[in-house]
Amino acid sequence: MKVDLLIIGAGAAGLSAALGAWEAGCRSILIADRRSHPGGILEQCIHHGFGADLTGPEYAAMLFSQIQKTGAELRMETEVLSISPSREAVLSSGAGLERVRFSHLILAAGCRERPLGALNITGTRPDGVCTAGQAQEMMNLHDRDPGERILILGSGDLGMIVARRCVLRGKQVIAILEQAERCTGLAKNYHSCVEAHSIPLWTRTTVTELHGEPRLTGVTVRELDSGAERFVPCDTLLLATGLIPEQTLVSNLGTPPWLHLVGNCNRVHDLVDSAAHEARIIGSEIIKKA
Amino acid sequence: MKRLDVIVIGGGLLGCFTARNLCRWDLTVALLEAREDVCTGISRANTAVVYPGYDHKPGTLKAELTLRANRAFGMLCADLDVPFSRCGSLMVACGEQGEAVLRKKLRNGLESGVPELRLLKRAELLELEPELTPEVTLGLFSPNAGTVNPWALGIAAMENAVQNGAEFCANTPVTAIRETEGGYLVETEGETFFTRAIVNCAGLQSVAVQELVYPSPVRLRITAGDYLILDPLTAHAPKHIVQFEPERGKGLTAVPTVEGNLLLGPSERAGSDFGTDRDGLDFVRALTRKVLPKVDLDDTIRTFAALRPNPERPDGSSIKSFVIDRPAERFWSFLGVKTPGLTCADELGLYVARQTAEALNAKENPAFQPVRKGIPKTHALDFAARQGLIAEDPEYGNVVCFCEDVTLAEIRAAIRAGANTVDGVKRRVGATMGRCQGSRCRLIIEELLREEGVYEG
Ligand SMILES: Cc1cc2nc3c(=O)[nH]c(=O)nc-3n(C[C@H](O)[C@H](O)[C@H](O)COP(=O)(O)OP(=O)(O)OC[C@H]3O[C@@H](n4cnc5c(N)ncnc54)[C@H](O)[C@@H]3O)c2cc1C
Ligand SMILES: Cc1cc2nc3c(=O)[nH]c(=O)nc-3n(C[C@H](O)[C@H](O)[C@H](O)COP(=O)(O)OP(=O)(O)OC[C@H]3O[C@@H](n4cnc5c(N)ncnc54)[C@H](O)[C@@H]3O)c2cc1C
Repeated sequence: MKVDLLIIGAGAAGLSAALGAWEAGCRSILIADRRSHPGGILEQCIHHGFGADLTGPEYAAMLFSQIQKTGAELRMETEVLSISPSREAVLSSGAGLERVRFSHLILAAGCRERPLGALNITGTRPDGVCTAGQAQEMMNLHDRDPGERILILGSGDLGMIVARRCVLRGKQVIAILEQAERCTGLAKNYHSCVEAHSIPLWTRTTVTELHGEPRLTGVTVRELDSGAERFVPCDTLLLATGLIPEQTLVSNLGTPPWLHLVGNCNRVHDLVDSAAHEARIIGSEIIKKA
Repeated sequence: MKRLDVIVIGGGLLGCFTARNLCRWDLTVALLEAREDVCTGISRANTAVVYPGYDHKPGTLKAELTLRANRAFGMLCADLDVPFSRCGSLMVACGEQGEAVLRKKLRNGLESGVPELRLLKRAELLELEPELTPEVTLGLFSPNAGTVNPWALGIAAMENAVQNGAEFCANTPVTAIRETEGGYLVETEGETFFTRAIVNCAGLQSVAVQELVYPSPVRLRITAGDYLILDPLTAHAPKHIVQFEPERGKGLTAVPTVEGNLLLGPSERAGSDFGTDRDGLDFVRALTRKVLPKVDLDDTIRTFAALRPNPERPDGSSIKSFVIDRPAERFWSFLGVKTPGLTCADELGLYVARQTAEALNAKENPAFQPVRKGIPKTHALDFAARQGLIAEDPEYGNVVCFCEDVTLAEIRAAIRAGANTVDGVKRRVGATMGRCQGSRCRLIIEELLREEGVYEG
């Protein structure tokens, strides 16, 4: 198969890039995404605050309805396995492997969360430690709880939103820990999540060691200014310690002129509108320049 | 009561390979493991090096078995369908003290008959391994050293044993052993077994298990060590196994693993659980900066700790050789086998299996099948082969673990082959081992464990 534009990722950025390219006149667009529904990370963000105060899935549905009016082809449950310098991608799905040749490639693969191993936290590796995004997926898409007595490391938007979700599901959020002087997320999230639900925010603190096996029984919390350490019992630690743009697929390609990165895989966006806007412009410019 | 010829206690590398080799004779064998799976003890965390055999005194059992094991390792891994990389090793020194150690190792190695060993000067070293610090002065190069994934190997051996008729019992800790007419009664939490012979491979608990029925000639002093694992995409990873500070034991070992990661470690410190330690990790980081200065430690995706059983005589002196005790005619114990126990696992298993077969007057088993087929690794296949698998089973087309490129079909196969936790799946097919450490696929794997009836609720 041969297309003018291959887009990897059908999240807000990928879908928006397709819209931009379509409007600029591109008539051969293929979007591939491994998930079963378009929208990417939006699917698990069931809170309000996307665009004109939509929920994540509502925002995704809005983009999807616009895509449906174009002739862009959307292939879900399709993994892009590799990209070669000769502009060929290998796609994998239950139907088989397929080689797709393209003129332009937009990578809209989103981001991944920094895992425990990348943090300087020692001790055991018990159950009950996971990333905040994983906990969000667990609660919002699988209706399961990550635990009962929860500590959250990192006060960015993801940390705060997940903290609120845990509280709404009747769990005890002992505190959100933040190494900086103050909360690092958006003010509106601070008000609607931390303040509104009286979730303790411990600034200038971090977690240095995990305890317990097979399940977490507590963590060592360190006050960064005094250096004092104390044991805090908990059964769950959620890591909201950073998002890393997911560029693995193109890591060996350098920066060829046909490769474009949009959305969270380019840089992490706090707001979906910003990711979508950037992607739409880039999608359109590629076609206009070509 | 179930009656067996041989009970193997402990499903680490040694237990799995002992069980496998016992199947070469006409014997009924059961492998009893306390935990939910094999290779969750010492075998879960080690340096993963297949040593060439120059570290040991010529003429000792360790030297002999290591040399033989290294030579046969390619064949063993081909039989068991386990990836093995004979990447070669460089033991490097920065200065005279270390150089003296290298020369002694070379002499040892030549005397033992280790093939293709040679010393390399600085320029040759840097040509072979440009990532090394320019401070290196001399290196001992062994092209025959290699690396293997210890779990992959242990699981393969266990499966091969089962395929040859052995029984594997997980979640079966041995709680008591009593001598009886013609053998032993072995009590577990559930049932009691009768067996004619016992091979104790209980690793960290091997002395305790022996002491359920006989005194032990040694005790184990447990120490710990820490490791780092780096992202396969990290720049400046060495192509060879690099060992440093030969004057202080093995110091740092850097291993380009079969999965493509860079493994760094271990430290040596007090400790009795698998928790990591800040000073230990800092020690590994400091040595890495010294030996492989360009490696970016921010590419660390995981840290873990290992436990070492150090066998000591009652007077506290340490023992260098493998301690294989035979306190009774039909009872063998591996008491605290550390390095190179991974390299020698099959040889050690065969060594004791042969003695067991003799003691029990067992005939050879002509039907013994040494070849085991593992779960096909989709990511290792070329386009046509992968396409073929998907045509047979569409689930080979659905990638679940994106970092390591592991498909739904592989994960389902792992569960059906006995994986009963996410870690069990990881040990069988590598899912969750990559740069996101399972943050994107763990939930899907848990759902599959439910779907397959392993997890409840
Ligand atoms: C918890 C959370 C809360 C947020 N809250 C808000 C908010 O309240 N308001 C707001 O405006 N913004 C919010 N944002 C930000 C906004 O949602 C994101 O910036 C935006 O949705 C990112 O879109 P994306 O398309 O770049 O990435 P993603 O949505 O992550 O999409 C990437 C897609 O690429 C696919 N993919 C990746 N690699 C491959 C491959 N090799 N093959 C096939 N498919 C692949 C993935 O499956 C995924 O579907 C939030 C973000 C998070 C994480
Ligand atoms: C830090 C370190 C690095 C190493 N690096 C290398 C290397 O690079 N190359 C190399 O060749 N070798 C290496 N080794 C050596 C190698 O890892 C070991 O020799 C090998 O893993 C030992 O396996 P085992 O079967 O004796 O013990 P284990 O793997 O600990 O297995 C023992 C099993 O017995 C079970 N058990 C205990 N009690 C009972 C009971 N009562 N009933 C039933 N089951 C029980 C345990 O649950 C466990 O599964 C290293 C060792 C260490 C410690």
